[in-house]
Amino acid sequence: MAARGALLKYLRVKVQAMPTTRNPNNNGLFGLSFNSIRRFSEEVRGTFLDKSEVTDRVVNVVKNFQKVDPSKGYDWKLKVKWVTPNAHFQNDLGLDSLDSVEIVMALEEEFQFEIPDNEADKINSISLAIDFISSHPQAK
Amino acid sequence: MFSFMQKMLRFQRSFSVSPFPTPPLQLPSPMETHLWFVVPDEFKSVSLLNQYMELLSPCEKENVLSMRGEQLQKSALLARTLVRTTIARYQINNRVVDPRSLKFKRNVHGKPELEWESDGGQCPSPLHFNISHTSSLIACGVTVNSSIGIDIEEKQRKIKNNILAFARRYFSLHEVEHLSAISDSEVQRQEFVKLWTLKEAYVKALGRGFSAAPFKTFTIRIKNAFRRGFDHADDIESGVCHKIQMANVNEMNHLSSLVSSSLCFEIYAANKERLPGKRYSISVIFLSKPMINVSFKLCNQASEVVVESSDHPERLANNWQFGLFELASSHYAAVCMEKDKASDAGMSAPMRLTVRKTIPFVEDECFSGTDAVVPIAGLIEQF
Repeated sequence: MAARGALLKYLRVKVQAMPTTRNPNNNGLFGLSFNSIRRFSEEVRGTFLDKSEVTDRVVNVVKNFQKVDPSKGYDWKLKVKWVTPNAHFQNDLGLDSLDSVEIVMALEEEFQFEIPDNEADKINSISLAIDFISSHPQAK
Repeated sequence: MFSFMQKMLRFQRSFSVSPFPTPPLQLPSPMETHLWFVVPDEFKSVSLLNQYMELLSPCEKENVLSMRGEQLQKSALLARTLVRTTIARYQINNRVVDPRSLKFKRNVHGKPELEWESDGGQCPSPLHFNISHTSSLIACGVTVNSSIGIDIEEKQRKIKNNILAFARRYFSLHEVEHLSAISDSEVQRQEFVKLWTLKEAYVKALGRGFSAAPFKTFTIRIKNAFRRGFDHADDIESGVCHKIQMANVNEMNHLSSLVSSSLCFEIYAANKERLPGKRYSISVIFLSKPMINVSFKLCNQASEVVVESSDHPERLANNWQFGLFELASSHYAAVCMEKDKASDAGMSAPMRLTVRKTIPFVEDECFSGTDAVVPIAGLIEQF
């Protein structure tokens, strides 16, 4: 899944760097602030991961997590099948508190950033994980 | 197959369901935990499950039905049924309690509690409870006037991350060292699971949520508190005086209370002697040959579980008592409860534990004192 993410990143269109010359027709001050504002927001947007990419990667991490324990019988196949972007850890996937912490750790490894305990506590569904990671500039 | 597991294979029965469990039980005393558990696989009767559904509040029913798939729904149903029927067993003020009538709320931090009405309006319930689920066993612990947290995990539970990496991320330094020192990977996995259950039970007993007491901020240690007395009942000759040396007055007092309260052998009083260097010896004469029972093993290998702050190890959280045991040969169970405030804080009194398996309205079976409950750590006395 990491390879897929890397491939998707490689295939993405890169954000264009801002041209360094200012529009000579503009008032100098206005032109400067306008260009600066645009540059700032593009740089910031560029460090957040794309939400659909995050969704794919998060779903894959949790599916792989569910696959590791096939000893639970036929139910595990359903538990893998039911890993969707809307799935709730406890109600849909039957995950307990240790599972949730293990998944948070697996997500930290996938996205290469640390999720603080007080935030990790709130992540009890796939969509919450996706939202949290998508809104964090440190996620890779 | 162990005999208790054979008992667990149940036949379908026809029964008339009485909504009120009989006979009423005495409340747990201070320092006592009553642990009740159900095994989901034993519940196959659809009509019985429907009857359980009728006990739940509308909100609880909705929650059960919101679970995905039959297995999770059944598990959620059994958990609520277990809580309601268990609490309803304890008659308070000689009133028979209908499990349907119980009201629950969550405390400020989200911990479920019993809502309690008394003549003067609402006040905190004297009964405390906590539940824990695995897919194969659901347990509910009940205490009086003491906060309680329990955690149950399957012994065979696989850890999907690297155990030491997980411990370094979430456990305290001392706990990482303890786990790192174990070379056998299977033993390491078992110790990890036991440590997890103890830490989880503590956080649940505190009742403030995972993030209020992050696992890294406290260390759980298991200390060996007792010298070996007897390794085997055959080592004891009846009618002969045995002297057992103890390291301190707490051990001695605990042993004499254990020995005098044991149901399995009779003793002739204990002569307590103070030795040089603050050691004590206790003289015990066994009138009849003791049978090995769990509390007897305990006095040889008992250990104490302590929790301390990671940053300030000298600050022992003295008011919490732990018990860790193996349940039904398949699970590790940890219980954490507040020590009895009335008792002397210096004494290490054992946790009194009663364990029962139940099929609500059908039958109960006492498991404590059998080989289905094997203490691993903490001072536990079974009833």
